[in-house]
Amino acid sequence: MTITPHPSLPEFDYIRPASLAEASEFLAHHAEDARPLLGGTDLFVRMRDGFIHPRFLVDVKYLDGTDSLSFNLDGKGTTEAGLTCGSAVNMNRLIASPEVQARYPLLAEACRSVASYQLRTRATLVGNLCNASPAGDTIGACLVYQAVLQVHGVNGFRQEPLADFFLGPGKTRLKPGDIVTAVHFPPPPEGSTGIYLKLGRNQLSDLAIVGVTVLGFPDQGTISGYRFRIALASVAPVPLRVRQAENYLAEQLLSPDRLREAAVLAMGTCSPIDDVRGSARYRQAMVRNLTRKGLEAVSSRLLHAQDPN
Amino acid sequence: MNARTSQKTPRPIGEDVPRVDAREKVTGAAQFADDLQFGPGLLYARIKRSPHPHALLKKVDVSRARKLPGVKAIVTGEDFPGFIGLYLQDRYIFCRDRVRYVGDPVAGVAAVSEEIAEKALELIEVEYELLPGVFDPEYGASPEAPLLHPDLGKYEAVNFIFPEPGSNISNHFKLRRGDPEAAWKECAAIVESVYRIPHIQHVPLETHIAVARVDMDGKVKLWGSSQSPFAQRNLIAKALNISQSDVQVIAPFVGGGFGSKAGVSMEALAVAIASQVRGRPVKLRLTREEEFYTAFVRQGMVAHFKMGCDQAGRLLAMENSYYWDGGAYTEYGVNITRAAGYSCTGPYHVPNVRADSYCVYTNHPVGGPMRGFGMPEMHSGLEQCIDELAEKIGMDKVAFRKLNCIKTGDTVVTGMTMHPTGLEQCIVKAADASGWGHKDPPMAPFKRRGKVIAVMWKAPAMPPNAGSSSEVLLNEDGTVTVKVGGQEIGQGSFTIAAQVAAATLGVPYESVRVSGPLDTDTSPYEWQTVASRLTWSMGNAVAAAARDARQQILDMVAESWGESADDLDIVDGNVISYKSEESLPLKNIVIYGLPKPNDQGWIGGPVVGRGNFMPTYVTGLDAQTGQGPRAVVHYTTGAQAVEVEVDLETGRVEVLRGVTAFDVGKAINPELVRAQMEGGFVQGMSTALFEALQLKEGVVQNPSFVDYRIATSADAPGEIQSIIVEVPQEDGPWGARGIGEHPMVPTIPAIANAIYDAIGLRPGAPPYSSEKIYLLMQEAGLVE
Amino acid sequence: MAIHSITLTVNGFSEQVEVPSNLTLLQLLRDKLALTGTKNGCTAGECGACTVILNGEAVNSCMVLAVECQDAEVLTVEGLAQSGALDPIQTSLIEEGGVQCGFCTPGILMSAHALLQRNPAPSEADIREALVGNLCRCTGYLRIVEAIQKAGKKRLQIAAGGVS
Repeated sequence: MTITPHPSLPEFDYIRPASLAEASEFLAHHAEDARPLLGGTDLFVRMRDGFIHPRFLVDVKYLDGTDSLSFNLDGKGTTEAGLTCGSAVNMNRLIASPEVQARYPLLAEACRSVASYQLRTRATLVGNLCNASPAGDTIGACLVYQAVLQVHGVNGFRQEPLADFFLGPGKTRLKPGDIVTAVHFPPPPEGSTGIYLKLGRNQLSDLAIVGVTVLGFPDQGTISGYRFRIALASVAPVPLRVRQAENYLAEQLLSPDRLREAAVLAMGTCSPIDDVRGSARYRQAMVRNLTRKGLEAVSSRLLHAQDPN
Repeated sequence: MNARTSQKTPRPIGEDVPRVDAREKVTGAAQFADDLQFGPGLLYARIKRSPHPHALLKKVDVSRARKLPGVKAIVTGEDFPGFIGLYLQDRYIFCRDRVRYVGDPVAGVAAVSEEIAEKALELIEVEYELLPGVFDPEYGASPEAPLLHPDLGKYEAVNFIFPEPGSNISNHFKLRRGDPEAAWKECAAIVESVYRIPHIQHVPLETHIAVARVDMDGKVKLWGSSQSPFAQRNLIAKALNISQSDVQVIAPFVGGGFGSKAGVSMEALAVAIASQVRGRPVKLRLTREEEFYTAFVRQGMVAHFKMGCDQAGRLLAMENSYYWDGGAYTEYGVNITRAAGYSCTGPYHVPNVRADSYCVYTNHPVGGPMRGFGMPEMHSGLEQCIDELAEKIGMDKVAFRKLNCIKTGDTVVTGMTMHPTGLEQCIVKAADASGWGHKDPPMAPFKRRGKVIAVMWKAPAMPPNAGSSSEVLLNEDGTVTVKVGGQEIGQGSFTIAAQVAAATLGVPYESVRVSGPLDTDTSPYEWQTVASRLTWSMGNAVAAAARDARQQILDMVAESWGESADDLDIVDGNVISYKSEESLPLKNIVIYGLPKPNDQGWIGGPVVGRGNFMPTYVTGLDAQTGQGPRAVVHYTTGAQAVEVEVDLETGRVEVLRGVTAFDVGKAINPELVRAQMEGGFVQGMSTALFEALQLKEGVVQNPSFVDYRIATSADAPGEIQSIIVEVPQEDGPWGARGIGEHPMVPTIPAIANAIYDAIGLRPGAPPYSSEKIYLLMQEAGLVE
Repeated sequence: MAIHSITLTVNGFSEQVEVPSNLTLLQLLRDKLALTGTKNGCTAGECGACTVILNGEAVNSCMVLAVECQDAEVLTVEGLAQSGALDPIQTSLIEEGGVQCGFCTPGILMSAHALLQRNPAPSEADIREALVGNLCRCTGYLRIVEAIQKAGKKRLQIAAGGVS
């Protein structure tokens, strides 16, 4: 059956709660009838398409801490070491941040690949994560940077490691009443460098048909002296880390053949589907090709950093 | 002496003058249909549409919907028994007994807000009895297929359309010339191929919109985004059985048409609904999603090609069959079938031809006119076959085309003699500019580069008596107001009208205004803004009107000065005499006339120039052979060269640069001509790489920008070189002929042939997505 | 449905409006403030025809709720020209032939304006990337990109020379 979106947004009440406690209580009380509102760029589309019909949109952008973007090097003070990105911070702001560019460049690169400049002025990193699309561009970067979500619910604050956050397409561990107030990234490993390779149908602005995130860094604890973190988008029900390929690389000396084999392993661990955007067969081949390219690019930088000659 | 016979081309013909409408468009002042204000009485309409591709309409119950507060009217097919259609009347305004495509209108609601009208749709209950669907044109043309229009034999059609009652074939164009059977024996190389070209949509940035008001006395007023206000007036009047003079259509700027806003589509729905709320305007606008499958689409087609050449590479025969997936209603699409039929060989000289072009009903969205009118679809496969044949016979691909391309004086496939054409020049220039014979190395070891050419032709496809008219009025201050019925859809027609008027009259370009919006009550008649016909046809009408105005002015001044009008001229807005060297500015006299000496009265009066143009020489074609002395008014021909890179790791095809060369006869405004060449190239490239309406059992799977991708700023090539060739069109203004559609026609096969040049594999039918190319290479063992 | 009373500044003018929760900024501009220069091409944040400047940043106004614009500063195409004189982006677009049907034009101008504010000397690649959310079906983009590059240079000249 073809979708028949409405000409405009359906009716709802816009609510701006005064505090996190009030917000969580309201959301829990109304359950499916209420949704937290950040950028709205996914929410409005789904509401117009008629897939969801919330009676209330609860704007959580103005609550404590949601608007701050801060980097703390050594964990002094009240925040842990690392980058804390409030849920209301839009993607363009994140991309433009000098700290993000310097220390978490992969995050900026992933955000920059999302949609268009106009949408990135409203879209938020936290929103992209909570949307939990298998194709989410930023999820891979957040996984390899080992993101932890700060969640406020009816029982107060708690942490949710992103690695365990996704349950299925569009499904997360969040319950009614939960509001993600920030996402936190520990300081990235020393000497880390990464790449996000995104394949769309046209050059820019598309969703990822296949998305490959690779982060690499020196690690004396492995045979090669390097460790890689690899995440894939659009080839499984949730964005996933490819542990098998990562472990394989940790146990080998680096060489072009090893990188190619790791890419084949990555291809084997995913389960892409046929959909209106691409076929499983094509996605499978692209996982292999893009993982190989990503590993080559990252390892080349790592080797060059170690020995610029 | 007169501007037409003058040796020198008068200004501003041939000049890159700025557009007359640019300033209002960059300030946001330009009004489009949704910008018009109608006051608090405006009602909004929404349409209840069939979710099924084929079904009997058993019951439509609007009783609950009527009771929703704010609903003012609901209409169904019961209220409107008239048929509507341009070339074939095969459509009801609202479905009456059956639905034939997903989106077919079943009921219409007018309410005080769009939201309430939308809510009312959910309260309308419809009972369907599902019927088996037809989703392929070859199947649809076969005896096995269920009949979608059992009453085809009763539909009114123009005399150049040939439906086959008792089948789903709404038009069958036959072309028989020479003896192909015998010719195959003489061929040294033969190529046979089948191409399945997908449906696409025009994707104008402004979706369809119409506001209709029916007054208490039954007079209709319709505002809308329209390429064809006069055709809309005519078709709606006929469908409602009222006089054309009781229908007024007002059409402001169009935010992109590309053919989708020609003829009548959703506008009739607005008028029908408005007839139930007399005196109140009713606005109907399509969402983007509705635009993708309920507005006109470009129909898909299945094309069978067989072509052969002799040892020297001369084309000897073609046997082509085109099955057009016309969709649920083919009132417009039947002529696309015909146009592809009479141009079936492409721009080549082929002495033996057998072609059948079938328009077939299917339960798909309604196929209508789209930029190229059958030519892009046809050339997509045809030019790939030509490429294959050239290779098979071992001939250089440019040389093959130069040898076989249609030339001045050749007899074309319908028996018409080809008028002067610069196609060969276009081929040579495009090939040279692209550096034919030399290929730069690819930019990376995992890329392959390809470069090649494709050619095209197209004639305006229209009834033989499609006419244009114009008025030229002079104002008190000597400025000129030009009235036309040809629409400004972005191509620059208003600017051309101003240039032609200025040049013919002898006034500065800056003093000419073009009157808008178009209004069938006050604008002079124009058949439609389609077919790339305005510069030529409307241009001739404007020139005629300007000549008429000019003559009125010269006659009046001649009488006043006691001179012969032959010694007078208008230069730069002043009437001058070559004899007495008198000079008089145009202002005031063009309204108030000239006083006689000694207060003895007056000469002259308000100057109103009028003129028209209608070709009178197009003949019919034999129903069995498609032969006739003059099938079309003229052909515009051209060539494109494309350089691509194919990424072996992803299959992505990148168009690095394009060279486009077209024979436009005379470029009235070279910058506008180049703008069409660039825009058409990119639109063609977009359809080549990204676009297809993905149809599954009659349902469009991708009716939104998310999954129907069009070219963005990041996809446009690095460079497009536009080359203007000018071999004059005998009856065009200063030799001009059309260019609007043509730059989109050869782009798909140019890119396909370039892909072949890069990787040695033919990519077949578009779109040439990264996936399609990668899997093609994988299948052939070129990549893993 | 809740109705909210909001005050915002549009093109320098202070406006007070009553808006239902589900009204978008685009609807506010077109339907309540009669600023019809900003266009609707898709109502889904995909085409960019509705692009305006909100608090200094380019946004798709169809994706912004009006109620969230309390105290906001909005600039639309109608506000680009200063006291009748066209902005260099507007004149460049005319000169380069980057206007055909004109429907995408207001959105393109606002995206270009936002780009030049944050990057006064953009490269061709910068411009193409910045415009990727503004679809155009008529021009093929090349002239638009050229126009924005020229406009950037003109704006820098004006800023340096102080002459408009």
